[in-house]
Amino acid sequence: MVYGVFRFINFAHGELIAWGAYLALFFTRSPFYLPIYFAALPALLITALIGLAQDRFVFEPLRHGNRITLLIASIGLSYFLRNAIRLIWGSDLQTYGFMPTRGIDLAGLSITSAQITMMVAAILFLGILYIILAHTMLGKSLRAVADNMTLAQIMGITIKKVSLAVWVLASFFSAVGGVLLAVDTNLEPMMGLTNLLKAFAAVLLGGAGNVWGALLGGLIIGVAENLSVAFISPGYKDFISFALIILMLLFRPKGIFGILGGVR
Amino acid sequence: MDYLLHIFIVSLIYAIFAMSLNLELGFTGLYNFGHVAFFGIGAYTSALLSLAGHPVTLGMVCSMIVSGGMGALLAIPALRLTGDYFGIATLSFGEITRLFFLNERWLTKGPMGLPGIPRPTWIGEGVAGLPWFLIFCMLLTLVVFILTRHLTRSPFGRALKVVREDEYVAQALGKNALSFKIRAVTVGSILAGLAGSLWAHYISYISPADFTLTETILVLLCVVLGGRGTNWGPILGAFVIIFFQEIIRFLPIPADFDRFVAPIQGMVYGAVLIILMLKRPEGLLQEYKE
Repeated sequence: MVYGVFRFINFAHGELIAWGAYLALFFTRSPFYLPIYFAALPALLITALIGLAQDRFVFEPLRHGNRITLLIASIGLSYFLRNAIRLIWGSDLQTYGFMPTRGIDLAGLSITSAQITMMVAAILFLGILYIILAHTMLGKSLRAVADNMTLAQIMGITIKKVSLAVWVLASFFSAVGGVLLAVDTNLEPMMGLTNLLKAFAAVLLGGAGNVWGALLGGLIIGVAENLSVAFISPGYKDFISFALIILMLLFRPKGIFGILGGVR
Repeated sequence: MDYLLHIFIVSLIYAIFAMSLNLELGFTGLYNFGHVAFFGIGAYTSALLSLAGHPVTLGMVCSMIVSGGMGALLAIPALRLTGDYFGIATLSFGEITRLFFLNERWLTKGPMGLPGIPRPTWIGEGVAGLPWFLIFCMLLTLVVFILTRHLTRSPFGRALKVVREDEYVAQALGKNALSFKIRAVTVGSILAGLAGSLWAHYISYISPADFTLTETILVLLCVVLGGRGTNWGPILGAFVIIFFQEIIRFLPIPADFDRFVAPIQGMVYGAVLIILMLKRPEGLLQEYKE
């Protein structure tokens, strides 16, 4: 999303996913002992603040600078945030401590209740994102800035406000993603980077700037990854999305649905 | 004294590694975030060959050939992508390579790594061989330095800089930008392979854990801190970074605080990268511009 508007890849974005998940973990433990639904709220807020801080202290001063400078700063930032997680929570695998529940059989597939919650929440948040982007004034100005920053400025759109909104929204949604992911799997400091790369694979599959394409891309990658375990060694599970990124970049840089134009 | 020799050797290996990245990042303006892959490929090629009983020199030559070949193979498709996408593709390539080392147990022994990699016979094993290894590394660093300096000052190097500044101008001047970039990446990979094989023969034990994103960040830091696009910069950067890393070991750190040291070190590296970009993006040494 940040990529769509500001045209640069933020390597530190993945860390926001990890921070969201870890902060939720923090609020479920002592001294808070909040249930996960409530713990997620302050976690999301703090992650949004981190996102804003990123913009304010690192990217804002560099916005008109050299691209290479921006990229190196973002990879440095990502490394900084990841190590901060390791410092606070350690490098070991952690979970929210849910009991593994028995899955409900659904046409031969086993689905746990947590996974159903995840799916519902994911669809809900995607819906919200879509409404914001397509039907509000904010969404309109966002898309205008993405199209042509100078022209948007001439039309009286304050870049500062828009960039604020972008960062809040983007960090908020990545934190949601992080919490949902961590509910189903587990938490580790590297989760930010791996999931960022996977998200990239999803976005590239669907075509950049296309919400539904990204959703479908995500689905394809998730299914491909889990099916691949049946055919090749589980160690290569992550391999799939990385290989997909390279393949997609080579053959269809506009994504599968790139030609259709999509929402944007 | 032996410890000092060790630091110098590691610094020199990193200097070669950093110079190879500098050729791509500094002179050609390609953000290669998977450069550690070629370091790893070089290390594994050389280690496997010499463990199979072939002479070390052959292993080192082969590691350069294999890394260079892989570099060209990656570069030809990946360089059709522009800018940021190249960064993503190389980052993925670095991860793929690490997963390959981790999973192909028949070849690389997986997470156990490869122990007992021999040094060149004339250098000798153990501590006694250290001064000779240092001289060996110094010679190689000198060769690489002269080579890169010669390359970057030649018309080829000037063309690379033009490609970095503006690809269209390069094309208008009749230079095939793609071919120049591919050649830059290939040479960079060859040199990274050399650094990797030196590393393998010096440390004598390698495992996939040696070739992670941390090493990418470290070498990136060497180049950026020293000064992108300068000949002396990467060497200076490598020495500063490695010495900094080794000095940390002597700080009086309580035993139960040990587990915090590595993350804090990582945070410092990250913070230094950010602050450098904000305050002095050109690094310690500034590129001379006509």
